[in-house]
Amino acid sequence: MSANLVVTGLTQQFGGLTALNNVNMEVNLGEIVGVIGPNGAGKTTLFNVITGVYRPTSGSVVLNGKQINGLKRYEITRLGFARTFQNIRLFKQMTVLDNVKMGMCCRSKCNVFDNLFHTPRKRREEKAQEEKALQILKTLNLLDYKYDAPGSLPYGEQRRLEIARAMATDATILLLDEPAAGMNDQETAELSKTVSGLRDSGYTIILIEHDMKFVMNICDRLYVLNHGELIATGTPGEVKTDPQVINAYLGKEEEE
Amino acid sequence: MKKNGILKKTWDGLIEFVAMHQLPIMAVLILLVIAFPFMTSNKYLLRIATLCLINIVLGLALNLVQGYMGQMSFATAAFWGIGAYAGTIGVMRLGMPSLLGMAFGMAVAGVFGLLIALPTLKLKGYYLSIVTMGFCEIVRIVEMNWQDLTRGSLGIMNIPAVSLFGFRFKSGRANYIIALIILFVVTILVKNLINSNFGLSLKAIRDDDSAAETMGINIVHVKRVNFVISALICGFVGAFYAQYVSFIHPSSFASGVSQEYIVMIIFGGLGSIPGTFFGCIVLTILPELMRGLLQYRLLIYGALMVIMMNFMPGGLLGNLDLGLVKKKILEKRKRAVLEGSEGGDRK
Repeated sequence: MSANLVVTGLTQQFGGLTALNNVNMEVNLGEIVGVIGPNGAGKTTLFNVITGVYRPTSGSVVLNGKQINGLKRYEITRLGFARTFQNIRLFKQMTVLDNVKMGMCCRSKCNVFDNLFHTPRKRREEKAQEEKALQILKTLNLLDYKYDAPGSLPYGEQRRLEIARAMATDATILLLDEPAAGMNDQETAELSKTVSGLRDSGYTIILIEHDMKFVMNICDRLYVLNHGELIATGTPGEVKTDPQVINAYLGKEEEE
Repeated sequence: MKKNGILKKTWDGLIEFVAMHQLPIMAVLILLVIAFPFMTSNKYLLRIATLCLINIVLGLALNLVQGYMGQMSFATAAFWGIGAYAGTIGVMRLGMPSLLGMAFGMAVAGVFGLLIALPTLKLKGYYLSIVTMGFCEIVRIVEMNWQDLTRGSLGIMNIPAVSLFGFRFKSGRANYIIALIILFVVTILVKNLINSNFGLSLKAIRDDDSAAETMGINIVHVKRVNFVISALICGFVGAFYAQYVSFIHPSSFASGVSQEYIVMIIFGGLGSIPGTFFGCIVLTILPELMRGLLQYRLLIYGALMVIMMNFMPGGLLGNLDLGLVKKKILEKRKRAVLEGSEGGDRK
């Protein structure tokens, strides 16, 4: 399978701090790739660079042969990236349904005049959007909450709603930033089912996660970051036994 | 505490009732406002009513920026004034017909709106407020001092009344109806706009602009378009206002006036069309009822603001969406019916 997303030599510096140092990464179509590492390893920064929040100091991010670093954030989203946030960032004053529909706005073919005068084109689009949004909510088991405020949802549901919103952008690559954070075991198990379901329906998924059980179960490949550097990569089994990874997580054994 | 609970219950019940009977209530209200000018020939009452309508239009335009986009703008009076002056100059100096004059006022206000929007809406938060505050003052000073164009502090007098298809509408009644038509059209357009993808983008920008951009919204573009639409509305109604009152003066468009509109929509409810109507009507009529307290008006407004911010930060009808309330109730009933039938099966 051809590589879908290629990250080459990515370096991100904030003043004197090097958050990412020469990171290389390849994600293939239909994979679930995990990015793990201790706190402050640069995982979220990596996501931020890929989605265009930061412009990398050097290196490149290439999607299907097209360089995307340097593009604006919304342009990158329109190319098929969508992400969730580590700290949940739903639109609090909008309903659950509107949160999902909002994700579709970037695909809207209507201009301001269609919107002002509710032309037939606009009405057709609106109808299609509504159906699609309900469909997405149904897949993620959120249909009962459609008219509620997102803030009133249980924590796990809010995380799922973030995924729903990301799916609504018609993304092919989902970047999930700690989707299982703060969830209990049961919620995590459900999430794990949801995420593999997403993969089966054709999404490519990159996720950051601290819950090792979750990561090891679900990911095809892992990238391990520490202090902004890629220290290991491979299948969960390989990574688990990699001495450098063990060092990063548990500290080095003192040599006698 | 308990009293508070009862109050809230009554209030919620009222809102639910209104939401469930939107069509008949709307029909009655529309009939009432259409019938109003034919029930009275009191010029003063008609004038206040017309001002109410104009203020609601301006309130709606401001609510687009402040309520839905979440950025406070002090430019309402500026665009209103630009529309009034440009429209008047178009009619009196360039010999435009009445309606073309309004379109001209609208266009000029829109151009100025774009000029403000281009640099300032890249920023978020209060930068827009500060820039528009300054802009409003600049516009007033220009109106005051560009004697050749605006006659400065003398104001422009004897502006020809609105004329359409050869008819000249001088009576208060006719102007009331025209204002009503303008309000009707603007309300529908604003409602369409906020119920569209554009409106969703706006609300998303208000709630979390960075997340909105990550969801693929070109936020700067959306904000600019929205600001220009707001300016266009203000400009159009400004030109109409000039032709209606037939006399304009820079002091009508000072930045203090913008603040009054902000008070109106904050009182009525940010991000809510019924709220805008309510706030604008109450705060247009109230000062007239309390003529004797006119000097204390700003003091009262200030107190009102503080009270509102403490007890109802969203305004009386903040973010009220009657359609949504209705959908929720219907959903609840549907679920109750479903559960009821399931319960019946078990028996």
